[in-house]
Amino acid sequence: MNVSHAPIASLSAPNEQAERALAALWTRPPGLLGWLCSTNHKDIGRRYVVTAFIFFGMAGLLAAAMRIQLAFPENHFLGPDLYNQFFTVHGTTMMFLFAVPIMEGFALYFVPLMVGTRNAAFPRLNAFGYYAYLGGGLLLWGGFLVNAGADAGWFAYTPLSGPDFSPGHRVDIWADMITLTEISALSGAVVVLATVFKQRAPGMSLNRIPLFVWAQVVTSFMIIFAMPAVMVVTAFLAMDRLAHVNTHFFNPAEGGDALLYQHLFWFFGHPEVYIIFIPATGMVSMIVETFSGRRLFGYPVMVLSLIATAFIGFGLWVHHMFATPIPLLGRSFFSAASMMIAIPSGIQIFCWIVTLWTGRPRLRVPLLFVCGFILLFVLGGLTGVMLASVPLDLQMHDTYFVVAHFHYVLIGGAVFPLFGAFYYWFPKWTGRMLNDSLGKWNFWTLFLGFNLTFFPMHILGLHGMTRRIYTYVAETGWGDLNLLATVGAGIIALSVLLFIVNAVTALRDGIFAVANPWLAPSLEWSTNSPPPAYNFYNLPSVSDAEPLWHSPEQKPVVVGLSTEKREVLNTTIMDAVPEHRYELATDSIWPLALGIVVTLTMTFVVFTPWAVPWGMFFSLLVLYAWFWRGNEPKFIVEAAKPKPQVAAQPTLVAPA
Amino acid sequence: MNWKTNSRTARTATCRSCRPFGPHGVRHPAKTLLGTCLPYSLLLPVLLLFSCEREERPLVVQPPLAQDASLPQISDLVPGPKHNKGPSVANPDENNSWMMAEGKRFYEAYNCVGCHAHGGGGMGPALMDEKWIYGYEPQQVYATIVEGRPNGMPSFRGKISNDQLWEIVAYVRSLSGLANQWAANARDDHIKGGSPPNSIPEGTPHNSSEPQPR
Repeated sequence: MNVSHAPIASLSAPNEQAERALAALWTRPPGLLGWLCSTNHKDIGRRYVVTAFIFFGMAGLLAAAMRIQLAFPENHFLGPDLYNQFFTVHGTTMMFLFAVPIMEGFALYFVPLMVGTRNAAFPRLNAFGYYAYLGGGLLLWGGFLVNAGADAGWFAYTPLSGPDFSPGHRVDIWADMITLTEISALSGAVVVLATVFKQRAPGMSLNRIPLFVWAQVVTSFMIIFAMPAVMVVTAFLAMDRLAHVNTHFFNPAEGGDALLYQHLFWFFGHPEVYIIFIPATGMVSMIVETFSGRRLFGYPVMVLSLIATAFIGFGLWVHHMFATPIPLLGRSFFSAASMMIAIPSGIQIFCWIVTLWTGRPRLRVPLLFVCGFILLFVLGGLTGVMLASVPLDLQMHDTYFVVAHFHYVLIGGAVFPLFGAFYYWFPKWTGRMLNDSLGKWNFWTLFLGFNLTFFPMHILGLHGMTRRIYTYVAETGWGDLNLLATVGAGIIALSVLLFIVNAVTALRDGIFAVANPWLAPSLEWSTNSPPPAYNFYNLPSVSDAEPLWHSPEQKPVVVGLSTEKREVLNTTIMDAVPEHRYELATDSIWPLALGIVVTLTMTFVVFTPWAVPWGMFFSLLVLYAWFWRGNEPKFIVEAAKPKPQVAAQPTLVAPA
Repeated sequence: MNWKTNSRTARTATCRSCRPFGPHGVRHPAKTLLGTCLPYSLLLPVLLLFSCEREERPLVVQPPLAQDASLPQISDLVPGPKHNKGPSVANPDENNSWMMAEGKRFYEAYNCVGCHAHGGGGMGPALMDEKWIYGYEPQQVYATIVEGRPNGMPSFRGKISNDQLWEIVAYVRSLSGLANQWAANARDDHIKGGSPPNSIPEGTPHNSSEPQPR
């Protein structure tokens, strides 16, 4: 295994002229307008990640304010109304505007690089997805700023969120914002699936796909099956509330069903947890593999356990509803299913541990975060198994024990890997290295602060402190542990600040990154840091799961793709045999226009149902422009022929 | 983020150890991002100008006192619109969703619902039509509740606190479309009745004759 820090020469341009020509073809137009038009997966992925991180910071500030409010009994820092808005906007932002989009951002940036192609499939849909997401974020936070922040909890149960008990337009804003973010998530999922299934490098059969890509494939399938449920249920809720529509979906007096809301919501809501967690397992797998310097132990088992997690993840939503009148048989079934999901998760944990155990681990910052992840996620998983048991759940339902549990699985299970991924991929992203010692400070403060904040919540929950209360009286005796949690939250804030300082100073004057600073095995490290607009001058071919560890210079490369049009290579789903060339859409302003129209539609539908026909009309106009003839790519040139000439062009040639 | 330009990629190709941005006079990514975002962040205060009074939910710290509700007693013999018409008093609660929703709670809690049902009327007259026997202005509705009216409407003087009274007034007027449509309540979780307050076209209220004894 001779791994080099340098980019792979056979994949790079032969001379400057050729390089410049291809770069001109793939680079977006200059200026702000060009920036808005960009359909490059790296631009879009980076936007997702930066935007989601900003939302993470803002929602974190809300959490800090809540911790200040709860630090002392009978505190009056926030009133009850403001507190309701704070925890709802915090939860909603963290779930819909931070966790899912940031994972998708990483996918959109790295999946095309990892599978060895030049851009993601459906580039305009991809660009539109970001704008829909941004529109959703602005809608929620705009509402929050004008005193109309959602205030019925992040899952907005009826009847509380219904028309009778949530007056005003706060919940409408929440429901319509969900629709926007789900449109975005669905677009991203489709883009990722099409990219992975049709644009892999020749030879990258299904059993050679990097685990991060596998994780994103599984996640994308989950998004496609889970998100429609929440779009439907929030649409029902909005229709129940909307003037002149006044449906009765959740009104028991008219034959509606308030519990239907919970079923539909959690049919999405539980898979949502895995939509956040599974990409994190992909990140962890990549980091573990690189820093232990050996092939990941049990690759097929890992892939199967990811798929098993996804399947089981759809079969246990009722464990969020044990406190509702569910039949006993149903409770038993979902209790068993909930415990069962610990099996694939346990398999994953053991695979990582064995990989580290049998490899030669280098304890750099990304691996440090992964170790933190393993510890915290196991803790969160254990409380999860406890909560899966019906009698225990009935005791601890809606207490701080649950708050502690899901922060352990979400922060421990997703935010820690995410920070690890930041340290791991930052060099590829920006061409600069993050500071190692600052990174260690970042990790240890986060680890300490996190445990100080959330471990006491287990005890508080067992003592009976319920969720979503804005204050408590001193006689409860909860004051000390709450103060401790608030101190911990301060340390978390400090840690995030350290990370921001680290990132900004690294961008300004960090050490320059080589192409493969960690000696990693996957294809994204074979090109420059940061990658050029076209990713690879010659597309790579692959003959194993760790391409950069097995003499990549000797592998054949793909030549023959157009230098006039934005072409990528389409390959077969199973074995990635080259099929034909495929022209991708060019940069365009219409995704932004559609994003604006859809956002305005969802904003006005808060007030009037007439927003829907008008929004459809304007969307149709924009779509006409989007698909205008001459504007659209001339795709599937090869497939139009009677028999695709696979062997002729593009060809695999051995490097000179 | 203008840092990814042709010249940058060209340089990468010629000299791979050279850095693509930063020291070479290309604008720094963080600065560009700031430069792009900062002007738009100035729009934030503009957003705040729209801060919605419709959505405010003030916290009542002290329990309200029922004794507050006072109105000069007028003769029981000649009640009616002429005596307390006066200039219209604006009721700020009619612009606030929360206040009107509270009004609905009190409407049910003080058993207005017992005679007037959910606006459709029963033993008492309907409140969701455009006919008003004792006046539709906020202060007239207020007076009707406080003083009571012949043929069965009891006086609630001293029984309901002043701010709750105004919330009930706002809710009652919203039933016939007289309150702010954007703030009015949506449908109830009850058996379907008439259109909920937020779905009623703005009514043209008029004074009707005195009720006939039933």
